[in-house]
Amino acid sequence: MTADVHAERAATSRRPGLAALRGRNNEGVLAGVILLLLLVMLVVEPSALTWGFAGDIIRSGLVTLALALGLLLIIISGGMDVSFTAIAVFSGYATVRLMTDLGIDGRVWPFLLAAAIGCALGSLNAVLVARYRMETLIASLGTQVIIRGFLLAFVGSTYLATLPPQLDSVGTTTIFRLGSSPVNIVVVPVALACVALALILRRTMFGRGVYAVGGDKESARRVGFHVARVQTGIYLLAGLFAGFAGMVHVVLSRHASPFDLVGMELNVIAAVVIGGALDRGGRGSVHGTVLGVLLVSLVQNSLVRLGISSYWHVLVIGLVILVGVAIQARSNARGAKRPRILEEVTP
Amino acid sequence: MSKSSSTTISRNRAWSGRVLGQARHNGHALGLLVLAVMVAVMFSALSPSIYATPLNVQSIAFAVPEIGLMALAISIAMTTAGIDLSTVAVANLAALTAAFVSLQGQEAGMSTLVVSVVAVAAALAVGMLCGVLNAAVIAVIGVAPILATLATQMLLAGLAVLLTEGRPIYGLTPELTAVGTGTFAAVPTVFWIFLLVIATAAFIMRRTGYGLRATMIGANAVASDYSGINRSGVIFRTYMLTGTISAVAGLVMVMRTVSAAPGYGSSYLLLAVTIAVLAGVNPFGGRVAVWGVALAAVVLQMISSGLNILGYSAYIYQIVQGLILVGVMILRVEGIRAVALVHRARSGGAADPVPPVIDRPYEEGHDAQSSSGAAYSSHTHQG
Repeated sequence: MTADVHAERAATSRRPGLAALRGRNNEGVLAGVILLLLLVMLVVEPSALTWGFAGDIIRSGLVTLALALGLLLIIISGGMDVSFTAIAVFSGYATVRLMTDLGIDGRVWPFLLAAAIGCALGSLNAVLVARYRMETLIASLGTQVIIRGFLLAFVGSTYLATLPPQLDSVGTTTIFRLGSSPVNIVVVPVALACVALALILRRTMFGRGVYAVGGDKESARRVGFHVARVQTGIYLLAGLFAGFAGMVHVVLSRHASPFDLVGMELNVIAAVVIGGALDRGGRGSVHGTVLGVLLVSLVQNSLVRLGISSYWHVLVIGLVILVGVAIQARSNARGAKRPRILEEVTP
Repeated sequence: MSKSSSTTISRNRAWSGRVLGQARHNGHALGLLVLAVMVAVMFSALSPSIYATPLNVQSIAFAVPEIGLMALAISIAMTTAGIDLSTVAVANLAALTAAFVSLQGQEAGMSTLVVSVVAVAAALAVGMLCGVLNAAVIAVIGVAPILATLATQMLLAGLAVLLTEGRPIYGLTPELTAVGTGTFAAVPTVFWIFLLVIATAAFIMRRTGYGLRATMIGANAVASDYSGINRSGVIFRTYMLTGTISAVAGLVMVMRTVSAAPGYGSSYLLLAVTIAVLAGVNPFGGRVAVWGVALAAVVLQMISSGLNILGYSAYIYQIVQGLILVGVMILRVEGIRAVALVHRARSGGAADPVPPVIDRPYEEGHDAQSSSGAAYSSHTHQG
C-alpha cells in the first residue's frame, strides 16, 4: 500500500499539466468525452452537426440544467433528493393555476412566485433533514409523494393547454437563432442562476459550509459550522431553484400539466453525478454539472439525429449513465483515503 | 466526579441502553401490529358492509405479495447499508421472461407442466443474473449502491422495452395461471408463496453465517473489513438474493395478471421503499426486519384498500404513504427523546442531561434513527 501511495504521489507530481487538465472533479475527462462524441458524430453523420443541433441541445438541456442546480447543492452536501421534480411541477402548475383563476398576468413575477412556492416546499425537506436527521433519500421520497399527491388531489389535475398571454409571450421570445433553432430568452435567467450558485459555492461561508457538511458532518460541527442551519439553507435554496425550474419548464413547453417532470429525476441525478458531484458528498461544481447536463442532452439528441429506433433510447441512456457513474467511482476510488495503520503513514 | 456517581451513571446508561434496545427490537414489530389493528378497526367502523368481509380480506391477500416481495428485496439490500432501486425493473424483466417462455413453449407443443417449470426457472435465473450485474457494478467497479442500481434500473427497463418493442406479452401456462388466481385453505396461493419466501429470507438473514456477515457489513463496513469478512463476496450474495426475490415478485405479478408489459408497476418502487422503512429497516444498514416487512406490506395494503372503498382517490393514498413514511421517522426521534426525558425525571434530574435535538454530535453514517441509544449516551467528550 505504501508503494502505491508513493507511486501515485510521484505520478501526480510528474504530470502536473495533465492533472490540472483533468480538473478537480474530472471535468476535463467529461469535456474530452463530449468532444469524442462530437467527433464520432462528425465521422458517422457529418450532416447532423449543424447549429440547429446545438440549438436543440440547449433547448432540451435547459430544464434539466435548471433542475440540476438545486440538486447539485444537495448532492455536494452528501444528500440525495428525488422530490425536486415534484416541487418544480407543483410550483409551476400552481402559479399558472393561480394566474388563470385570478385572471392576472405577468412576465417576471411568475418566476419569482414559483421560486417562492418552491422555497416553501423545500422547507419540508429542511425540517426532516436538519431537525430529524432523516436519511435524505427517504425524506425526499416521502415529500415527493406528499407534494405530488397534494398537487393532484387539491390544486388540480387538469391539463392547462394555454398560458396567460404575457407569460406565454416569454416562451416565444428568442434572443438569437442558432441555425434553424431559436434560443429562448429563458437562457439568460438560467445562466444567471448558474453563475449565482457558482458564486455562492465558491465565495461565501455558506458555500464552504455546504462542502464541509458534505465532507464530514461531525468535523463540520466541530469546526464550528451550525450543521442544521447549513442544511436548512441548502434545502430552502434547492427548493427555490426547483420552483424556478418548474416555471422554466412551463414557459418552454407553453402548457402546464401536473403530470409533467415527475419520473425525470433519475436523468437529472445522473447528469449531476456524471458532472463530478460525488454521492458521498463534499465534491462537485457548477461547471461540472453544466458539462454533465450537456453530455446527457447531447446523447439524447444524437440518438434522434442518427435516426436510432426509440426502443433503444432508454437502454443507451442507461448505459451512458452507468459508464459515467462508473468512471467517476473509479477515479474517486483511486484517490480515496482508506484508514491506514500508523507505521505505514510515517516513513 | 466520584466513583459512586460515575457507576450510577454508567448503570443508568446501561439501563437506558437496554430499554432502548428492547424498544427497538420488539417494540417496532409490536407497534406495527397495533397499527394494523387500528387501521382494521378504523376502516371496519367506517365501512362495515364492505371492508370487514372475507372477500375484501382475500383481495388484500392477493395484492400484498408482489409489493411485499419487492419491499423485502429492498430491505435486504438496506441491511447491508445499500439499496436496490432496480427491484421493479428486475421483476418486470422476470415477468416478461416467464410470459415469453410459456408462450414459446406452448407454441412448440411442449407439455405445459414442463413449460411452467422452465418458465419459472428462467425467470429466477434472469433475476439472479440482474443481481450479479448489480453486485458487479457495486463491488467490482465500486459505484455506490444507490447510483449503481439507479443506472441498472434504467438499463434493464430499456432492455425490456427493446426486447418487447414496448408491447405487452399475453398468455401463460394453465398451471401458472392456476397458481396466480387460486387459493389454498381459503388463502390465495400467492400469499402462501409470499409467506414461504419471507420465512426463508428470515432464516437466511437471522440464522446463517451469510446473514450475520451481511448485517455486520451494514453496521460497520470498516470493522467488518478488519474482521476479515470478504465484503465483495457478501455483496454478490446479497444482490443475487435481492434479484431472485424481485424475480419471484415478477412471477407473482405475471401469474396474477396473466400478462407482462415493460413499465408495469413503476409506481411500486416508492411504495416498496416506504414499506421497508415502515418495517423498521435502517437505511444506513445493520438491521434486519424481515417479518416487519410482511407486516408493513399488509398494513399499507389495508390502508390502500380502505381508502379505495371509502372512495378516496389514489392521490390521497399517495399523500398517506408519504405521511406514514415521514411520520414513522419523526415518531422514532421524538419517542426516543421522550424516553430519555422520562428516564431523566426518574433518575432525579441533573445526572444525565438530555441533549438538545439540534446540536447533537454526528456519527459516521449512523444518524438519529439508527443508533440513538449510542448517540444519546456518547456525550462524554463534549463536557
